Amino acid sequence: MQNYHEFMDEVLVDEKTIGKRVSELGAQISQDYAGQELLVVCLLRGGMTFTADLTRYLTIPHTLDCMSLSSYGFGHYSSSGNVRVNLDLMTNIEGLNVLLVEDIVDSGRTLAHVLQMLKTREPRSLKVCVLLDKKYRREVPVEVDYVGFDIPDKYIFGYGIDIDEHFRNLRFIASADLQKYKKIH
Amino acid sequence: MQDYRDILAEILIDETTLHKRIRELAADISRDYRDKDLVLVCILRGGIVFLVDLMRQITVPHRLDFMAVASYGSGTRQSRGSVRLSLDLKADIRGRDVLLVEDIVDSGNTIAYVLEFLQTRQPASLAVCTLLDKPERRETPVPVDYRGFTIPNKFVFGYGLDLDEYYRNLPFVAVVDLGKYHPPSE
Repeated sequence: MQNYHEFMDEVLVDEKTIGKRVSELGAQISQDYAGQELLVVCLLRGGMTFTADLTRYLTIPHTLDCMSLSSYGFGHYSSSGNVRVNLDLMTNIEGLNVLLVEDIVDSGRTLAHVLQMLKTREPRSLKVCVLLDKKYRREVPVEVDYVGFDIPDKYIFGYGIDIDEHFRNLRFIASADLQKYKKIH
Repeated sequence: MQDYRDILAEILIDETTLHKRIRELAADISRDYRDKDLVLVCILRGGIVFLVDLMRQITVPHRLDFMAVASYGSGTRQSRGSVRLSLDLKADIRGRDVLLVEDIVDSGNTIAYVLEFLQTRQPASLAVCTLLDKPERRETPVPVDYRGFTIPNKFVFGYGLDLDEYYRNLPFVAVVDLGKYHPPSE
C-alpha cells in the first residue's frame, strides 16, 4: 500500500486545530442542552472518531447509539438519494433530544433522508453536528446546527474518513491528489 | 442522572495509565502485523472509544469494520450465547488478518460465538485484542492475544463502558458503588 505522503495534497486541518474545535463544539453542545439529556447518534463509519472525541467533552448526561447507512444505487454520490439502513438505532427516540453526529456533509441527501426518517419517530428535538461541511456540494437544503469546519470541494481523508477503507486513523484531515493515488484492492 | 462522583467506588485505571498501555498494545500490534492485511473489527457499541484511540497509535496499514450483535430473548445483562448478528461486516475477510477489538471480555460467550462465526469465512488469521479482561467471569474460553489489563470481578464503567447506557465518555475506568447507584427509571 502507498504511504499517504505519496498522494497527499495538503493538510487541511491539523491535529491541534481539530482538537481545539472539537472541544469548543463539546462545550457549546453542553451549554445548549444544559439541564437536559441527550442521545448522541454516531453515523458509522466515518463519524466514529469524531463521536468518540466529541463525547469526551460533553458535560451533560448523554447516551450513545449508532446507525449505519448506505445509499441505494451506484457509488456514493450518484444514487437516487434513498437511504438503506444497515443498522438501526437500539433506542426508541420518542421524546428524546437527539443529536446526529456525522463526519462530513456534502450533497446533504443522506442526511436529509435520515432526518426525515427519524422525525417520524417524534423525538423531542433533532439536531445535527458535522465535523466538516462541504457547502459547495449541497444539492438539498439541510439544516446543520453545529459545524466544525467549512472545507473546500476536495477529496479528503484522515480523522475517521477513509480512502478505500484505509487511512481513517490519521490524526489530521488532508486532501488527496487523486492523480498520484493508486487504488487499493 | 447521578453525578459519577456519587457512585464511584474507586478509579481502577486512570487516564494516563490507559493511554500508556494503549500505546504499548498498538506497538505490539504494529510489529506483529507488519506486511499483513490487517482488519480491525469492532463490536458495537462499547468498543468504540478504545478502538479509536488504539487505531490512532497503530502504524501499519489497516482497514476497519464493524459488527453489532444482540441477544435473542429478553434483555439481560449476561448473554448466554444466543447471539444474533444485527450488523454484519461490510467487507469479506477471507484471506485477511482479522483482529477483533473489544472493550471487555467477561463471560466470553458473545466473543466466542463471534470468533466461531468469523472463522467460517476463512480469514488468514484471527486474533483478539481486549482492553479489559475479567477472567473470573469466564464461562466460555476465549484466546486473548492482546490484553490491556486484567481486572477483578467488579462492576466497571467509563472509557466506553456504560452503566445503563450512561458514563461511556469518562476518561478512566472506574468501579461503581452499587449501594449508591440508582438505575435511571424507564
